[in-house]
Amino acid sequence: MSAAESHQVPGMKFYVMVWIGLLAIVGFEVFLTYRNLPAKTLLTSLLLLSAVEAGLALMYFMHLKYERPRLFWSLIPTLIFVLFMMDHIWADAFRLINLRLPTP
Amino acid sequence: MSELEMAAGSGHTIAAHGVAAHATPHALAMEPSPYRVGSGKMAMWLFIIADAATFGACLFVYGFLRLTSPDWVRPFVFSPTIINGMIMTFVLLTSSLTMLGAVLAAKAGRTSSCLNWLGATILLGIIFAVLHLREWSSMIREGWRPFQNPMGGSVQFGAAFFSITGLHLLHVISGVVAIAVIAIGYKRGRFQASNVEVTGLYWHFVDLVWMFVFPLLYLLNSH
Repeated sequence: MSAAESHQVPGMKFYVMVWIGLLAIVGFEVFLTYRNLPAKTLLTSLLLLSAVEAGLALMYFMHLKYERPRLFWSLIPTLIFVLFMMDHIWADAFRLINLRLPTP
Repeated sequence: MSELEMAAGSGHTIAAHGVAAHATPHALAMEPSPYRVGSGKMAMWLFIIADAATFGACLFVYGFLRLTSPDWVRPFVFSPTIINGMIMTFVLLTSSLTMLGAVLAAKAGRTSSCLNWLGATILLGIIFAVLHLREWSSMIREGWRPFQNPMGGSVQFGAAFFSITGLHLLHVISGVVAIAVIAIGYKRGRFQASNVEVTGLYWHFVDLVWMFVFPLLYLLNSH
């Protein structure tokens, strides 16, 4: 991303290609779901694929790639940090896991 | 060029055109935006980041509920629920594409084309909402409620499912209304291409959230 690239937004043909890519990822997610993968592997795979989808949507559909780089660096790392803190430092997260009841 | 823009541009311009004295010091004190985006777009980005944190919190809570429930149920089957979810995903992704068409047309000054694309986006948004509500009504008929599980097991599934998909559906419906308002305003000349673009940002965000909701709430709860 450079300042020179700002506002050089691609045309509809490019967006259709991204759209096809996103649909293909969704199809792959459904395919993986019915491959009887272990739960952790499936969860990790689906989250990674969703993150790729989100990245494509953010950078191309939402034109973040064509804005000044500092907009990306101000917003996205901050959001990821907040989500990370929410997931890992949430007060009750680990206590709840330890309180889990045995399977009946 | 407005007086304010001239004042921000250079002192020479001010001197040459005799801008009102009271505007000059204030305008010169203003810094250019470090992001080079309009205030509307910046406000929308900040809203999107805050809203992403909200959805993130909801999905983390869902994850914690699921981890701590030994009798979690996975009620969805490929047909009809997952197929319906795939159709909904297709509709929402396509609506993002039509929204992009509207933004491109608006920036090119093609009003009629922009309105057609916006109309298609509204239609696809309504189709998504109808498919979603049809699925909800089907589940409710089966006995699912936010705190009721007709299959036995954890009642938390209904709470997580209805709250997260409900929050997303609320965003979709709000987006459809917002796009309709923008379309009418754009047609009447009250709104510009930048307004269409900012509304498009919101719509793409709604699509982005669904990219996490569908695999986490539908696919991981199917058998």
